[in-house]
Amino acid sequence: MKTLIVIREKDCQWARAFFPDMHPFLLTICNKPYVEFLVDFSLLSGIRQIRLLSDGPLGEVEEYCENGSRWGAEISYASIQSGDDMQTVLAKNKRFCAEERCMIINGMVFINYGKQADYNAFIAAFPSGEILSCSCGSLMLTGNPSGTRNISPPYPFTLSCFDSPGLYYRLSSDILNDAVSPYVLPGYNNEPLCHIGRNVVIGKSAEIIKPVILGDNVQILGGAVVGPGAIIGSNVIIDRNSSVIHSVVIDHTYIGEQLEVEKKIVSGNMLIEPESGVSLAIEDPHLLTGIRKSGASLSFIQYAVQALAALFILVLLLIPFLFLFPVLKLRGKWMQHNEDCYADISGKILNLSVTAIERGGLFGSIAIFLSLDRFFQLFRVLAGQIAIIGSTPLRVSPENREHLKRMPGYRPGVFSYAEAEAWPVDHDDKAIIERFYTAHSALFQDILMTVKAFVNRIHEKSTP
Amino acid sequence: MIIRENTRDSVSTITLAGTLDALSAPELQSFSENSALSPNVVLDLSDVDFLDSSGLRVIRGMALKKRESGGDVILACMNDDVRKVFNNTQLVRLFHIYDDLDAAVTYAETNKKSI
Amino acid sequence: MKFRIDTSTGPHVGIVTLSGRIDAENSIELQNSFMSWLLETSLFVFDCSDLDFIDSSGLGSIVSCLRKALEHNGDLRLAGMGPKVSMVFELTKAKKLFSIFPDTANAMQSFGKSEP
Repeated sequence: MKTLIVIREKDCQWARAFFPDMHPFLLTICNKPYVEFLVDFSLLSGIRQIRLLSDGPLGEVEEYCENGSRWGAEISYASIQSGDDMQTVLAKNKRFCAEERCMIINGMVFINYGKQADYNAFIAAFPSGEILSCSCGSLMLTGNPSGTRNISPPYPFTLSCFDSPGLYYRLSSDILNDAVSPYVLPGYNNEPLCHIGRNVVIGKSAEIIKPVILGDNVQILGGAVVGPGAIIGSNVIIDRNSSVIHSVVIDHTYIGEQLEVEKKIVSGNMLIEPESGVSLAIEDPHLLTGIRKSGASLSFIQYAVQALAALFILVLLLIPFLFLFPVLKLRGKWMQHNEDCYADISGKILNLSVTAIERGGLFGSIAIFLSLDRFFQLFRVLAGQIAIIGSTPLRVSPENREHLKRMPGYRPGVFSYAEAEAWPVDHDDKAIIERFYTAHSALFQDILMTVKAFVNRIHEKSTP
Repeated sequence: MIIRENTRDSVSTITLAGTLDALSAPELQSFSENSALSPNVVLDLSDVDFLDSSGLRVIRGMALKKRESGGDVILACMNDDVRKVFNNTQLVRLFHIYDDLDAAVTYAETNKKSI
Repeated sequence: MKFRIDTSTGPHVGIVTLSGRIDAENSIELQNSFMSWLLETSLFVFDCSDLDFIDSSGLGSIVSCLRKALEHNGDLRLAGMGPKVSMVFELTKAKKLFSIFPDTANAMQSFGKSEP
């Protein structure tokens, strides 16, 4: 048998709204990513081949789950369109579903199973059609059962809805408070109601009260009180004299000093009251902040090569610059202004000087020919603030903030990958090219692309 | 790059094999412009072993052109490498993607708009 | 920030209507205005029903207002806090420092009772 897990963007919209930094498939319930619960259930049903389907991006999920071998499963991924009905979804995965029966988990639902159970026989004997359903989705089977056994409820597992922070909170605390947990949870556990991850530092006067779950790399400083009923994700810092009681703290969160978190969900700088669904983004970094993963930053070698390339171009352009800059400036053809751009995907802001050189005239043409308009930005490469080649810097605006979320590899550059490609680019094409290269960027290819960009700009400008 | 076209159930199926990059993308472009294809076209990608941004552009261009006249380009049998490239650029959202050629042809056949 | 004196329940109570945001930009202004309001009375109700957002500097200035009111043998009570503002007070434990009422009328009455 095989499993198809079909979760559409509309099913997990709520999760994206409350936990914007986490893919809904990877949203942690008691520090275990949601998708792992589904994989576990599949394995308990004797199914190893699992395909994850969504009409949204699955890159992060694939990065985390890979091919599933870590769980002894085979995980594959495919895209569907938001309008596809179940029949179309099955047709699009005809080859995967052919010959064998399929279990379909449709929608963002939580399956309450037991880790000791074996659902193999139950699933195999169940006739095709719906097993269980709730308002958020359903669990179904295709194909014919083996053998004819009469199966009547109650079934050995149940299905519950999972579509609001309130349900998320209740589900998490139910799992936490269960002395004999029906799920395998991450962390070290030698007594009931207590799981502790790796590399956890607990200050001398800090107090940890069961039931509690701590993730990896958690720091709890002196005087802090954690628990009862605390679920602390990985890479979380709880500063001096703060208390976290009956609350969920999601991965990568800093909780400042002297705070009291009770019956809340904290995710980065977001404070959520689970029952009412009221959420608030705290703007004071010393109260609550997200701890950033340093994913897109450059390695030292990368930085060194980039800086050398920038230095080389700077030296090359220095003489023409010294001559042309005053001339153009005096004639009012050198226009320069500062612009706030996004520095990385976290939305950090970088102030960049942008130069426009008026076309026409011999000096202007030479200056544009030599890309002197990017001269000042090259210094930013030396400072390690931008890359020599990368994405076109995105100007700060609410609309671009949305774009940014869909550009996982965004890294502003003096030259852009789009410029390196010889085509005249419209907006969408540019996005495609830049996403392609940011996903595939490599050290020497980058240098090559820089040269290409430099040359192409000459070409583009000499044929106005 | 090898480009083969045949018609199954009145749907043009283009089978691509090899590398679809800046060198071979224009080939595909001129092929699609110069062949008399059915409104819905199925692209069989099972034997494409490399795809870059130029390839993506051409495929996207073909799809946009087809859609102008009420047709579409349907992708079939993406292997893992090709799928990752599509995923990275989020171009997947634009296409109907089938893991089976027959299913893709059936879709193309039944979702024909009468012109 | 609007200020008026209300005597409907007996004592002179200064009602301060806060609206929009209180943050680094206007928290100093609040503290300065409070000094001048203190010349008229030492009993205050801060009506927070139109307050959308407060950050730690805003919170700090309200706590300092409370301290000054207490120094003048008065009090500062809060009324009509929305759920978001309430969350910030809870998080920072500032909630424990204040008497909090669902609306201004209730807060006014509380002064009427304690100081007949």
